[in-house]
Amino acid sequence: MAETGFIQKEKLNDFIKELSKDAVVYAPCLEGDTVLFKAFDADKTVCLDRPANNPPKLAIFPQSETLFNFTYIKDTEDPKKMSVEIKANTEFPKAVIFGSRPCDANGFLIYDRVYIDTNTPDPYYMGRREKTTIVTLCCNAPSPGCFCVAVGGGPANNEGSDVLITELEKGYFVEAVTEKGKAVLNAPQVESGASYADEAHKKQLESEKLVKNPFGKDCQPEISMSLFDSDEFWEKYLSKCLSCGACTYLCPTCYCFNITDEQMLNNGERIRSWDGCMFPHFTLEGSGHNPRPTKFKRFRNRVGHKFVYYPEKYNGVIACCGCGRCIRYCPVSVDISEVVSYLRGSQPDVSSGTKENAVTDTVKQEQK
Amino acid sequence: MISQKLQDAIAGVSDKVDVVIAYQQGFDKLHATPCFMTTPEEIKNVIWNPLCVHNLTSYLPSLKKKKVAVLAKGCDSRTILQFIQEGLINRENVTIIGIPCSGVISVNKILQAINHEPVEDVSFDEKGNITVKTSKGEKTFSLQDVCPDKCKTCRFPTPIVYDVLVGDPIESNKTYDDAYADIKEFENKPIEERLKYWEGEFDRCIRCYACRNACPMCVCQDSCIAETRDPHWISQRATLSEKFMFHMIHALHLAGRCVECGECERVCPMNIPVNKLKRKINLDMKELYNYEPGVTPEDKPPMYTFNVDEVTIKEHKI
Amino acid sequence: MPEIASQELRVVGFLCNWCSYGGADTAGVSRFKQPTDLRIIRVPCSGRVDPLFVVKALLNGADGVLVSGCHPRDCHYSDGNFYARRRLEMLKKLLPFLGIEEKRFHYTWVSASEGARWQQTVTDFTKRIHELGPLHAKKEVTP
Repeated sequence: MAETGFIQKEKLNDFIKELSKDAVVYAPCLEGDTVLFKAFDADKTVCLDRPANNPPKLAIFPQSETLFNFTYIKDTEDPKKMSVEIKANTEFPKAVIFGSRPCDANGFLIYDRVYIDTNTPDPYYMGRREKTTIVTLCCNAPSPGCFCVAVGGGPANNEGSDVLITELEKGYFVEAVTEKGKAVLNAPQVESGASYADEAHKKQLESEKLVKNPFGKDCQPEISMSLFDSDEFWEKYLSKCLSCGACTYLCPTCYCFNITDEQMLNNGERIRSWDGCMFPHFTLEGSGHNPRPTKFKRFRNRVGHKFVYYPEKYNGVIACCGCGRCIRYCPVSVDISEVVSYLRGSQPDVSSGTKENAVTDTVKQEQK
Repeated sequence: MISQKLQDAIAGVSDKVDVVIAYQQGFDKLHATPCFMTTPEEIKNVIWNPLCVHNLTSYLPSLKKKKVAVLAKGCDSRTILQFIQEGLINRENVTIIGIPCSGVISVNKILQAINHEPVEDVSFDEKGNITVKTSKGEKTFSLQDVCPDKCKTCRFPTPIVYDVLVGDPIESNKTYDDAYADIKEFENKPIEERLKYWEGEFDRCIRCYACRNACPMCVCQDSCIAETRDPHWISQRATLSEKFMFHMIHALHLAGRCVECGECERVCPMNIPVNKLKRKINLDMKELYNYEPGVTPEDKPPMYTFNVDEVTIKEHKI
Repeated sequence: MPEIASQELRVVGFLCNWCSYGGADTAGVSRFKQPTDLRIIRVPCSGRVDPLFVVKALLNGADGVLVSGCHPRDCHYSDGNFYARRRLEMLKKLLPFLGIEEKRFHYTWVSASEGARWQQTVTDFTKRIHELGPLHAKKEVTP
């Protein structure tokens, strides 16, 4: 099977249609001025000009899914007895994510460690993940807020993708990254691509230089733990935060969920749905006590999860792919990359200079 | 420069308050961001230009116990009046720095016009034009073309209430009818089309609650019935009926209270025209109860009161 | 007795405890014939009816919603129905904006002694909903 290929611009739509013949294709579709990952059909217009407003995480980790249905059945002989019948569906359709960006694809690797590479893999996530092929489009230029190179990614990074596509003048250069990806190259719209390889790789290198890197060259932001633990720091930078969930719901690496039962009479279903640490109910305890009662404590958790706790647990890997959506779509322009660079101590004027000592007291996560 | 005058005005009041809420430069040249200042050294960071879109008065109810100075444009000042009507702030704790405003910029409209390219620089000229520089070149827009729709029909360019006014008052020649022309137009569409429109718009909703949290009048915040299990109004299913219901909760809880600052619509990451529903209700409030939110401090919101004989309500026959 | 035996529709009625629920009871005791499409929910006062009750019912499977309380000036709690009147009038104007026929929602006043008026109201309203047909013909209905 071919490792590389080429698709002419005018054939791209047919290529997506070809893919949708035996799989559900999630592609960035244009709706008004909004680009959204949606299940593709012939009525929709695919837009590859810029990253979609939402990440493709919904294809593998839907906003809400039924884990199982349950029915209470009364014993006709003994009315006090009830039995429960449970039906779970762990069969998932074949799917293709088309037009994700390298950051989006990277996001799924963050999920895999949590949902698959454990003693108790999640059958729902794993079921969808195994049946999904990820076809990623390299970015030609960064979007406002992008900082993928600062967290170990890049506009042409192929980690997490099965196929990598590079837009060239006349068409798209296609590279298979995994065995799963090679199957995609069998579509009739894909012609031989060897002659375009050099042009594509040159373009990939060019785009790399355009992305900003707020954390410096080492790609490992060293978080000052004393600054991280100081309430004053967070109160100062996060007073403006509205504590809405736009950042978590648009994040390709946020994987927290809630489980609820919805029941009517004797029938019901158990639902898993997205949740986020920016919501007060996320940590609200049965007693009424909330350990994260304020906005800045919630945001500290968001930064902590991505840049401290997750790296501690998974070998220094940062749980942020730098897609910049939380920055672009934040109602009050909270910039996570800026907050993290302050936490590194690179801006010593924080908290009116009183934290001078704290700034030097940095902790390297790699040492953990 | 207005920025300088503004900084002077802030310096003049800053020693009397605990915190000053103003604007500073955001993550790029196209974005301003709210800033909370507690020391005089920070005043130099304050900016004022048409990118200062946020309604900063939204933060006031959560800071009720503190002494706060806040920047308010004409539209934002209506929020303060509504807060006063509903007893949500202590007026004596708030110092209002009013700024007459001839219109702000819709960042979305600019981004659409420049194909969502990263912005390198932004500049403004005296005529109210904005020039945006990207790697593809420069583009100049007149404010009229890139302002949010609310600015095109603004009747309150000068704050209705303020303690300090920075700049000269601006008059508006717009009328009440101008402001609701689009609502009346929508009402004339066939009913099936209206339902289809809202279903299409609400279907995009991801229930991030940005519209709710940015809304100055949504004061329940952490106790919102959209999230509680008891009462259990809506489930966590991502279905159209649940999304629709959430927006109905938002709209109906704002009946006769919405000051039309448009924050709900501005912050929506899915570009849902959320404010339209509330403006429709406001139009009815005016017709039925001759009430407009946030215009005079003495008014009483129409849902808080009644007349024994409602002259405008006719009994409905089946 | 549904209008057409095989096609009963779902009409939800919110009735205040003191007048309209009594009125419906009077109609029943007097054996006045009524359509069976209506499901009654008893509330303490029409002032208890949050317009969201109506919206929730319409979005979750009801084809029509009827609210009935004490006549104005006759409220058991003196002014509950005055507040209700303002809210429900607002809702009546909002529904068509959303694309839901205004006729699917009706609010009225029926006292405990007005069994015949109740019978007339239910019969006429149910007839109107049948003329409009089901609201949720092809749409998802979640429990």
